[in-house]
Formats: sequence, structure tokens, C-alpha cells
Amino acid sequence: MKALTMETSNINTQKLSDVLSDFIAETDSIVALLLNKDGTAIASAGSENAIDTTAMAALIAGMFSATREVAKMVGEHQFSILLQQGEKRHIHISLVNEHVMMAVVFEGFHRIGRIRYESRKACKTIGAALAITDQTNNNQKVISIPEFKEVALNLIDSIFTNK
Amino acid sequence: MPFINYENREISFKIVYYGPGMSGKTSNIIFVHKTIAEDKRGELISLKTSEERTLFFDFFPLELGHIATFSVRFNMYTLPGQIYYEASRRLILDGADGVVFVADSQRSRYERNILHYQLLEKNLMLYKINPKAFPIVLQYNKRDCDTPIEIGTIEKQLGLEDVPVFEAVATRGDGVLETIRELSRRVISQFEV
Ligand SMILES: Nc1nc2c(ncn2[C@@H]2O[C@H](COP(=O)(O)OP(=O)(O)OP(=O)(O)O)[C@@H](O)[C@H]2O)c(=O)[nH]1
Ligand SMILES: [Mg+2]
Repeated sequence: MKALTMETSNINTQKLSDVLSDFIAETDSIVALLLNKDGTAIASAGSENAIDTTAMAALIAGMFSATREVAKMVGEHQFSILLQQGEKRHIHISLVNEHVMMAVVFEGFHRIGRIRYESRKACKTIGAALAITDQTNNNQKVISIPEFKEVALNLIDSIFTNK
Repeated sequence: MPFINYENREISFKIVYYGPGMSGKTSNIIFVHKTIAEDKRGELISLKTSEERTLFFDFFPLELGHIATFSVRFNMYTLPGQIYYEASRRLILDGADGVVFVADSQRSRYERNILHYQLLEKNLMLYKINPKAFPIVLQYNKRDCDTPIEIGTIEKQLGLEDVPVFEAVATRGDGVLETIRELSRRVISQFEV
């Protein structure tokens, strides 16, 4: 279990960011964010600085997982798309695979057709990229575990200390 | 199972405060959040009811710092303790790297502590995690109450052996940092690629 999840975590995010950037260019959206179901942001593009993507990833993951449970209650496996309509800004969320979802913030609700179409395309490309990087990305990037642990433990001791 | 992002050079761990309703999970996270340096923490988000009970979760990202070429983050969550939020608890537990179990030291809450700990173990197993091999720290909170539960009773009842135990008064911050420090150490110690 542990090892398996670690592998799926080792993602080449450059490729993913490129797909998201293309998506932004095609749809003129504000932000596109890729996140996993644990609530961690994987990659993003657009005017990310305008939005706290860390908090947004945590909230959207919560929202999506809650919605999935609701789906099960009404006899669906899951809802593959979530749409939140605001006054000016809207959010379109779609599932890439079991673990990953893509959230798009956009303005102009009339663009929804285009958003939907391009999201579907992007999710496919991303899904394929994730499937490949899962297997290939392990070698040259290894972290030295003993060193990592030593530094981390020191940081922990200094941060969680009454001053 | 921390999330490693090689391109952004980020490693994220997920820490969850678990426990029965009103045991002091949110009080713990609030204290941690306000104690650590401002440049090490993001905003604390609380999804709560109008009565200040946690409805879904509290969350804030804690930047541990840079290690080698990575920036390391702990994503800190609390979950709702009220019994009917079981489905939400299960969702938030997903992907956790470590759990602080916040028990309530009031005698009237004894059974609830036991029940919730058992639910925690059950939920971990649902995610194919062996609770005995998973980083958990047990905190006896509300030590300031009248005739608190004796330390050792919960562990004994549940047959817990290697779980570290801390006493706390979360509203004052007593024991809060000690608890999270030990849990963090355990999470890091279990880290492997
Ligand atoms: N006396 C005392 N009160 C505490 C302590 N810790 C928390 N409380 C109080 O207990 C109540 C519940 O605390 P919370 O931190 O909101 O509890 P929680 O576990 O997050 O509760 P839920 O979100 O409903 O599961 C609040 O009124 C706190 O002020 C403590 O150590 N001693
Ligand atoms: Mg709470």
C-alpha cells in the first residue's frame, strides 16, 4: 500500500503544468489547478497568485469526496463533473482518474461549453501522462533518506518548541 | 504516504487530529497555528457550524522548511468529532501520514474515547493501514477537569502498547506542542521512498 501510493506520487509535473497552461490559453480561464484527493495541489497554471491554491486544493478535495459519497447514496459511482456557478466567477471540476481532479476558475458563464470540451481533452492528456510517469519517474531523483530524516527531525524540534 | 512533487520540489505530509466531539481537536490546531512563526504557516480554514463545532474540517499548511532541495510541508487537519459525522471522518483520514488522537479526560467521556479510537482503527484498516504500525500519538486533553481519567486506562482498555501518551490542556496550550512534536517525529521516522 505504502509503496504503491509513493509511486503514484512521483509525478512529472512539468508536463502537467504545460497541459494546464495550454488549457488556460485555449479557454481564457483564470486558474487551472490539478490536485489529488488528499487535498494537495499537484500543478497549476493561470493567475495562481490571485488565489490561495493550497487552501483551495484542500477545500475542493473535501468537496469532491463529500459529493462522491452523496453520489453513492443515490446509486451513482460518482459524479464526474461538479459545477459551481457564481455571479462573476465559476468553478468547473472534473475527475482525471480515481485520485486526481482538475479545477478551473473562469469568468463568463457562456464559456461553459468550451470549458467543458477543453477540460475533457486536458483530463485525457493528463490521465495518460500520469499513467506513464507513474512507472518511469523513480530513478535519478532519489532523496537521501538518512540525511532527510536528520534535517527534518531538527526542524521539527526547533518549530514545535515553546519559546 | 507523503506526496512528493519533484518538479516543484515539494514534499507534503498529512497530519490529522482525531477524537470524540468536543475533546479539543480544534483547540489543539488553533494553538499550534498561533504559536509557530508567521512565515511557516498558511491561513487556518475552519468549516464549522454556527455553534463552533467542526462541520467538516479545520486546515492549515505548515512549512517545515527546506531539506536538501525540497520544501517540506505538513498539511494539518482536524476532523469533526460528533458521532454522526462518521462519513466525513473517513474522508479526511484518507491519505493521512499520522494521527494525533485527542481524548477527553472527563470521566463522562470515557466510553466515547474508546469508541472513537476503535472507529479510528477500523477506518485505517479500511484504507489498508495497520493501526499498530501507523504513527499515532494519544493525548489526554482537558487535564484541568475535576478528577480526570487516569493516564493508562485508555491504553489498557484498547490494548495499545507502543503509543506515546501526552497530557494536555489545549485551551492553555499545555502539552500541545509536545504532542505534535512527537507525532511529527514519528511520521518522519517512517518516511521512505
Ligand atoms: N477546560 C478545558 N476546556 C477545553 C480544553 N480543550 C478544549 N476545551 C473546550 O472544549 C470545547 C470544545 O473544544 P474544541 O477544540 O472545539 O473541540 P473539538 O474536538 O474540535 O470538537 P468537534 O469539532 O465538535 O469535534 C471548547 O469549549 C473548548 O474551549 C481543555 O484542555 N480544558
Ligand atoms: Mg473541532
